[in-house]
Amino acid sequence: MKPTAVAVPSSKFTFRLRPIRLAEFLALALLIVAMGLPLFFLLVGSFNLAPPGKAAVYGVNNWVNAFTDPGTLGALWMSFLLSVVRLIPAMILSVLVAWLIARTDMPGGRTVESFCWIAYFVPDFPLTLAWILLLDPSFGFLNTAAKGLPFIDVPLFNPYSFWGIVWVHTSTSGIWFKVMLLVPVFRRLGASLEEAARVAGANTATMLRRITLPVLAPMILAVSVLSFIRGLQSFNTELLLGTPAGIYVYSTRIYDYLQREPRAYGEATALGSVFLLVLGILLFFYWKYLSGDKKFTVVTGQGYSTLRVKLGKWRYAALGGCLLYIAVMMILPLLFLVIGSFMRRYGFFGIAAPFTLAHWQNLFSDPIFFVALKNSLIIASVTALGGILLYSVIAYLLVSRRTVTKPWLESLCWIPHVLPGILLSLGVLWLFLSTPLRTLLYGTVWGIALALILADSPVTTQAFKAGLLQLGADLEEAARVSGASWAYTYRRILLPLLAPIAAAVGLMNFGSALTSISTPVLLYSHQSRPLAILLLEYSFTGELERAAALGLLITVIIGAMMIAGRKLGLRLAGSS
Amino acid sequence: MSQAVLEFREVSKRFNSLNAVDRVSFSIQAGEIFTLLGPSGCGKTTTLRLIAGLEEPDDGEILINGKPVAAPRRGLVLAPDKRQLGMVFQSYAIWPHLTVFENIAFPLRVRRETDGVIRRRVHEALDSVGLAGFSERGATQLSGGQQQRVALARALVYAPALLLLDEPLSNLDAKLREQMRLEIRALQKKLSLTILYVTHDQAEAMTLSDRIAVVNGGRFEQVGTPAEVYEKPATFFVGEFLGRMVSLDGTIIKSGADLWIHVAVADVRLVVRGDPAKTFQAGERVRLICRPEDIEILSAGEIQQNQLPAQIEQVAYLGDRFEYQVRVAGVSFIVAAAKKHRYDAGTAVRLSIDPGRLNIRSA
Repeated sequence: MKPTAVAVPSSKFTFRLRPIRLAEFLALALLIVAMGLPLFFLLVGSFNLAPPGKAAVYGVNNWVNAFTDPGTLGALWMSFLLSVVRLIPAMILSVLVAWLIARTDMPGGRTVESFCWIAYFVPDFPLTLAWILLLDPSFGFLNTAAKGLPFIDVPLFNPYSFWGIVWVHTSTSGIWFKVMLLVPVFRRLGASLEEAARVAGANTATMLRRITLPVLAPMILAVSVLSFIRGLQSFNTELLLGTPAGIYVYSTRIYDYLQREPRAYGEATALGSVFLLVLGILLFFYWKYLSGDKKFTVVTGQGYSTLRVKLGKWRYAALGGCLLYIAVMMILPLLFLVIGSFMRRYGFFGIAAPFTLAHWQNLFSDPIFFVALKNSLIIASVTALGGILLYSVIAYLLVSRRTVTKPWLESLCWIPHVLPGILLSLGVLWLFLSTPLRTLLYGTVWGIALALILADSPVTTQAFKAGLLQLGADLEEAARVSGASWAYTYRRILLPLLAPIAAAVGLMNFGSALTSISTPVLLYSHQSRPLAILLLEYSFTGELERAAALGLLITVIIGAMMIAGRKLGLRLAGSS
Repeated sequence: MSQAVLEFREVSKRFNSLNAVDRVSFSIQAGEIFTLLGPSGCGKTTTLRLIAGLEEPDDGEILINGKPVAAPRRGLVLAPDKRQLGMVFQSYAIWPHLTVFENIAFPLRVRRETDGVIRRRVHEALDSVGLAGFSERGATQLSGGQQQRVALARALVYAPALLLLDEPLSNLDAKLREQMRLEIRALQKKLSLTILYVTHDQAEAMTLSDRIAVVNGGRFEQVGTPAEVYEKPATFFVGEFLGRMVSLDGTIIKSGADLWIHVAVADVRLVVRGDPAKTFQAGERVRLICRPEDIEILSAGEIQQNQLPAQIEQVAYLGDRFEYQVRVAGVSFIVAAAKKHRYDAGTAVRLSIDPGRLNIRSA
């Protein structure tokens, strides 16, 4: 062989390495601009006294204003208080229900579990509306009904209060997600641990107290802290129920600052930065002490437990309790949402012909509704597809050993997990207003879609990453060695294998894009108003019946999509 | 000499500070089974991945059929799909969304063969691995052994120059493993394949290979036929990895141009066949190494060369033989013996070591 056989020159080398490096640096650049810059603008913006887009004037006045306004610290304190207070009953109930489903002979456990899954996806805004229909002091059904009872002549319930907010949260975010997180943990608890306790002479109660709960304690604590942090990010319920009563949490306070004329960007941003700091500290401790793998090694132990606690005749009582909770917290408000959307004037059952289709007809004849529907569909589709494209590539880069900027990519992807929707939206707003993106994205559906795509980053990336890790590099490498180019491998091997994940994730992001309020609320304009914002406007202008109709419509769309998604997810789980 | 199918020239690969492959050179001839044998983490799989193009070497040159496929100094790295190899992964890497037929047809489709050719070659490949009639099965409906066969069929369907097998049998149970070992050997003979085989199982390496490279810490400790590496291990690691070793410390009594070296072990004098390439001085500390099967327990009155007094410490009955833990000159080791005698623990016995099978090394 002549040495000229080495005529394959160095260009081959660069050609081979370029695509993945190029993809990597493109992804990194995109993430830095899209995730890093909003955060940066948020922090810098808090020291900027001029509104976004104007020449910057730096100073600490925003911080001073934010802290001298007595409402600011009160709002932060209220955020904490609400999050803690509603966490306690929710956590106790979740552990109880998860234990009943996973570790006892309660009948219908699977059904209760499925219901929690569906309930988790019921959007919270329509549910909050439904509770208003039930509890409002002047027209709430439960208050009117209670007036018929002797000795009661003042309204029994008031949703526009601290306890009203706690109650409605117990219905919207309450136990559904926590049960879904805890049931697998309870199921996986190594059977041998409990069996050893029984053999050592412990009865059921002793075993639960001395073995089961202590072993699960770290996981329960982790779920609690996670729920607490997520609770801090809540916006919708506080906006609808807190604002009329003058109860502000930090997110509604930020919204309030930006509703003023002129918009108080500086104060809003300073408040957001303070909160970000607090949240950062909390998350640091969460990651440091709770999310480590070591503490859960026992829980992910060997063998599924077959040892189920026998409840005897109490098992029907237990099931009854679960069903009652579901009925009161989910079915009752949804039912009144339906009723509300068909009532001429909500709460007035006594008037002639109280029921009407007028609200639905008005809704469907309102040109604004169709614009909003179109906007929502565009936003949700772009969000779902964009998320799939972007995060499947990023997840691929994250699992690939060739990636050199992995820690950077990873941290940037997790930023939205820390950033509540309203803060992300505020950061994105700064980004849009102080850069040339203003003309391109500010107030458009594309800008809203971009913010939503960013918000989806942690979960979507994680899903693709898990999928790719489960597939392993071998399947891809086998195709390469068989002679397939990277593009052919992607098309014939990776894409078909990731399709179910992409579909499930896309559906989920489509759904959350449809219902999200806190992310688009600072970014929309009249041309780009999505359905969820229209729902917000209807509720603010007192058109509760039309709001009920629209809320119900959104709920039904989401419900149908999520049931389809569950089918898809189940098929995925069954085939692998 | 004919063209080597694969040639490594001073190839190195580092992961951070770890030398996974450390200036390795070797070549594989057409039609042979060449095995990389070593403990996990020794660099054998990395070597294989370097050949496949799944890793890029830091230094050196890799040639396939005389053509360089990786030469970092000249900026040359050929992508895996351009190397015309077949590979069986440890996990089999059967694509779960494709049928058996489509899995095996994949390399042919990539090469844009016509449907007729694909159908014929896939069925030939299925026949040769004994899976005729399985072509329409879903890949995930197969047992471990069947998946292994599909992976093998997929790797050889387009008659690659070199077949890379990465611990292909490690996920199978013991019985199936033995059967597949024979089948791979038979298939290799029938199709005159050139195979690079990676394993940590020395029995697999011994029975399958034409040549074995014992790999340790990224370096080839020894390359040779199974008999060579077993009988004449170049290093203690090689000897130890391929089976049990007995090692005795001693002092040279007499050594010279003479073929036989005399060594004192405790107060016994042993003779060892010398190596003309190596000379020892009288009084030098040395180490004598042999395999336990070269040591015999002498029955009463039997006279042999190289007798050593020993004490039986423990007896284990294995059904087909006894295994005795014996103690000689402060060293304990295990010697197997036929069932005709049984010595109880505590018995004093005499051992005999074949002088031709004792290897001598500087201590």
